[in-house]
Amino acid sequence: MLFRYISKRIVELIPILLVISILVFLFVHFIPGNPARLVAGKQATFKEVQLVAEELGLNEPIWKQYVSYMKGLFQGDFGTSLKTGRPVSEVIASRFMPTFWLTISSMAWSLVVGLLIGVVSATNRNKWQDFSGMFGAVSGISMPSFWLGLLLIQLFSVQLGWLPVGGNDSWQSYILPSITLGTTVAAVIARFTRSSLMDTLKDDFVRTGRAKGLSENKVVWGHALRNAMVPIVTMSGLQFGFLLGGSIVVEVVFSWPGLGSLLIDSISFRDYPVIQAELLLFALEFMLINLVVDLLYGVLNPRINLD
Amino acid sequence: MSETKLTAQSEYNNDVVEKRKTTLWLDFWRKFRKQKTAVVSGLFIVMLLIVAIIGPYLAPYGPAEPDYGSILKGPSAAHLAGTDAYGRDIFSRIIVGSRISLLISISSVFLGAAIGSILGLISGYYGRWLDSLIMRGCDVLFSFPGMLLAIGIIAILGPGLTNVVIAIAIFTVPTFARIVRSGTLSAKGSVFVEAARSIGATNKRMIWKHIFPETVSSIIVYFTMRIGNAILVAASLGFLGLGAKPPTPEWGAMLSMGRDYISTHPHITFFPGLAIFLTVLAFNLLGDGLRDALDPKIKN
Amino acid sequence: MFNRRKVFIFAASLIILLVLFSGCSNSSETKGKDSTQGTATKEGNDLTIAVDANLISMDPHDTNDTLSGSVQRTMFQGLFGFSKGMEVVPVLAKDYKISDNGLVYTFQLKKGITFHDGASFNAKAVKVNIDRLANPDNNLKRHSLFAMVKSTEVVDEYTVKVKLKKPFGAFINNLAHPAGRIISPKALEKYGKEVSRNPVGTGPYKFKEWVPGDHLTVVKYDQYWQDGYPKIDKLTFEPTPENGSRVAKLKTGEADFIFPVPPEQAKQIDGKNGIEVKAEPSIVVRYMAMNSMKEPFNNVKVRKAINYGIDKEAFIKVVKRGFGKPLDSVIAPKTSFYSQQKVYEYNLEKAKQLLKEAGYPDGFKTTLWGGNNSTSMKGMQFIQQQLAKIGVDVEIVPMETGTMSEKIWSTKPKETELEMYYGGWSPSTGDADWGIRPLLGGKEAFPPKSYNTAYYSNDKVTKLINDALLTAKPDEREKLYAEIQKLIWNDAPWAFLTVDYTISGKKNYLEGVYLLPDGSLSTHDAKIVK
Repeated sequence: MLFRYISKRIVELIPILLVISILVFLFVHFIPGNPARLVAGKQATFKEVQLVAEELGLNEPIWKQYVSYMKGLFQGDFGTSLKTGRPVSEVIASRFMPTFWLTISSMAWSLVVGLLIGVVSATNRNKWQDFSGMFGAVSGISMPSFWLGLLLIQLFSVQLGWLPVGGNDSWQSYILPSITLGTTVAAVIARFTRSSLMDTLKDDFVRTGRAKGLSENKVVWGHALRNAMVPIVTMSGLQFGFLLGGSIVVEVVFSWPGLGSLLIDSISFRDYPVIQAELLLFALEFMLINLVVDLLYGVLNPRINLD
Repeated sequence: MSETKLTAQSEYNNDVVEKRKTTLWLDFWRKFRKQKTAVVSGLFIVMLLIVAIIGPYLAPYGPAEPDYGSILKGPSAAHLAGTDAYGRDIFSRIIVGSRISLLISISSVFLGAAIGSILGLISGYYGRWLDSLIMRGCDVLFSFPGMLLAIGIIAILGPGLTNVVIAIAIFTVPTFARIVRSGTLSAKGSVFVEAARSIGATNKRMIWKHIFPETVSSIIVYFTMRIGNAILVAASLGFLGLGAKPPTPEWGAMLSMGRDYISTHPHITFFPGLAIFLTVLAFNLLGDGLRDALDPKIKN
Repeated sequence: MFNRRKVFIFAASLIILLVLFSGCSNSSETKGKDSTQGTATKEGNDLTIAVDANLISMDPHDTNDTLSGSVQRTMFQGLFGFSKGMEVVPVLAKDYKISDNGLVYTFQLKKGITFHDGASFNAKAVKVNIDRLANPDNNLKRHSLFAMVKSTEVVDEYTVKVKLKKPFGAFINNLAHPAGRIISPKALEKYGKEVSRNPVGTGPYKFKEWVPGDHLTVVKYDQYWQDGYPKIDKLTFEPTPENGSRVAKLKTGEADFIFPVPPEQAKQIDGKNGIEVKAEPSIVVRYMAMNSMKEPFNNVKVRKAINYGIDKEAFIKVVKRGFGKPLDSVIAPKTSFYSQQKVYEYNLEKAKQLLKEAGYPDGFKTTLWGGNNSTSMKGMQFIQQQLAKIGVDVEIVPMETGTMSEKIWSTKPKETELEMYYGGWSPSTGDADWGIRPLLGGKEAFPPKSYNTAYYSNDKVTKLINDALLTAKPDEREKLYAEIQKLIWNDAPWAFLTVDYTISGKKNYLEGVYLLPDGSLSTHDAKIVK
């Protein structure tokens, strides 16, 4: 049953991915730019640029380029990076893990903190806990992240000397980027938890629980929160997907070798195959996360029917 | 006979709508007043709007007026927020820039909200293939981070304020489409709307008279909240060199152009950063307050 | 009930705290250089160098960015190279002779040198490399520097002869160019194009690993031919594009050397935390090209007016924070065959007068294109402010590199919308030819073919440029280039701005690492003093 559901959902993804691949391909080639000139370089002659364009197949009509791109894709070949000449799959693979671990470390703390703030705020509505919790959360989404990141570097790396500025080789180097990245997520989750929990705290079953003499903690954490989880899980999934795409700004500030810094690099170089592969990867990740979120709904709330 | 009955009924109906509206307003105001944070934020935003309108008359200096004799000066009586790399008065630039920053954020979210709401109404009301088409389109837009879409769009259209507005508007569309669609679906099922349908209201009338008003509260809430986000996205675009063109005193551009001075002359980034922070904070807190006041599910 | 009006006070104090903390040592830092600072301490014998962009390729023949070239220099060497002052010096070559007709170059090579993979360096290795570069079918990015080679001939184990199709005066400079570096023939055979990720040369360091976007590491090569070198065990290059983060790495000691140092922070970090900042004039020229095919810039009076209307000293003070010199020719003083011209002094009256004579008494509107990084935007804003004073209303159009490649280098000269272009150029061969021909060498150099963004075409100048290439005799070339520079200066196709400085920062225990005037890095003599 579950297996059938999952395979059905995955089969459904294929046409959507196909459509996305066309859109992505058109979108990427629609960006004005001349990759041949960029590959050949500032000091190259015109003839060299022409040769490069020829070699990269950029002189072909666009539909031909798409067909040959798709042909490669079906054989698992994502093409070759125009900028470095390396296979795109290799380029992406080497950049995926740093972003993945940064995502995990950011999500981990921000989920815990976000949920805590949300629950405390919801159960102490209009008290100082609510006020300071929400104030903290909203502050987290009110600062441009590049500024926050640069300030954190100045404070914790330069002035205090506690944490490294860049690199991703030690656990310490994860701290500043995941604070910068997770602040937004924690804030979003805190606000969602608060409002969702406030909704469910009004529901009948909560009143019943209270009437039955269950402790307030048990009512909140055991019953109400479980029922409030559905929107929270959706939101968290969405955030997870976004983070997995790599935060361009944060990765640039912390010179993190992830997908975000790769993307901005590839866009300014018009490295079509890399941009395409990254966009397709985002779309796929996003849809898979949606699927996982839907499955979690079933776990959290058996009343929701998967079909 | 049947005709008179119909008229009577629809008059009755209008009456109900009117009454409902007034009570809703009163109810809202009663609840909103209690949200002190939101009230303060609201007042701050009103003040900001006033500054944005009369800003150029308030500013002690021209926002693009260089003075190479006094570059990078810290805050003083002559320059309340100090001067930047060209000796321009930062305080004046922030005041004049408030118009630009607010204009970018409000117009982009407005554009996105308008398109998104219409799509959401159509999608929720007509259902079937239109619904699937619009929702799948939203899925596609949703599956890319907003920043990324903005970068792509600006790469295509070129930098500049108008294009920043378009870029932010486009990735705002799916959020509103989804919210309005779900509002529409629940409104469609309500007794009140079914009654209107039973007396033969046209689709157009149904949508604008009966369904749209039901979704307005959530539109307002999200509208307020997205404005803060739009300001931040504009700032991040500035960081990547894709924002407002110099010498426009847009706050995000001021922040990102000044970031090389972050350790030597912190005042250059501090004041525009503070302006962004307070404005985004105010919009978000106002949004929170509006949601608490407008959401019928949360009673006091 | 809690008083929530404090919300904004709280908000403000939160940020104030963060900013104050992060900038708290600022007050002491503005006091200036502390001459008594002690030597910073360093453990181990490894170095980390933070750079401002990602590395692209490790194949010297297929590289066109200075940065990748700098990293390659740790592993590769050419027959010739550049000294600290940009003079050509022999490296792997011992001696050379040029035939009287300028067509045949004979090189004597140094003996007893090996590549990192054990192959020995000899005439055959040189032939393989020059043949690879000269063959257009190989699609190498640096083919153009060797396109004039007709054939290469191995005379004996350590003698090689190169024949040219026609005389080319700057050929030794081209060999000294980073592209002229010699790759192990064994590695070329083994890896083919993949040699870009498996670099093998004769240099003091050998390749260890490269994680793109993160770091590239080279380690000491024990059999290096120069006794006593290298003095460092391991060198790591870390791309750190954000200025603030790169400077922070130097302050914290995560990096021992960084370049470039943003001029905004150079003075502040110098002399603290054991940091020394070094600024030297480079061969990079900063200019603003004016499209001389378009009105109003087709009028030389307008172009001169703009030159008179820009205060070069203020430009250096405001935009370069003091790190620059007014540009007084088409090329920088450290480029060969430079000849000084008289700077267009800042004179608003003269500028307005010239505009009036040209028929623009009230000025005009125009657009200025340039890069979208904060450094270029800063320069463009300054020009905008300056020209406003003579009634020229400039709209700045910042473009990312990709857009520029389309707008300038995919557009025919007649259709281009380019009016003014803010740019910089580093002639990587160190020779006047590469500093002038691609930028101002007439119609052949117009975009999209080359880099003549001024669309400047003076037949006399073009002819002189070509004449200067056909001779290898230094005194003849000197005379020709002096004439060329004078003519171009009087035509004013550019607003001549500055000679940029290279600015690098290092910890004071580090010696022997420096930037060359072309902006590339030399680590050959690097050592740590305890």
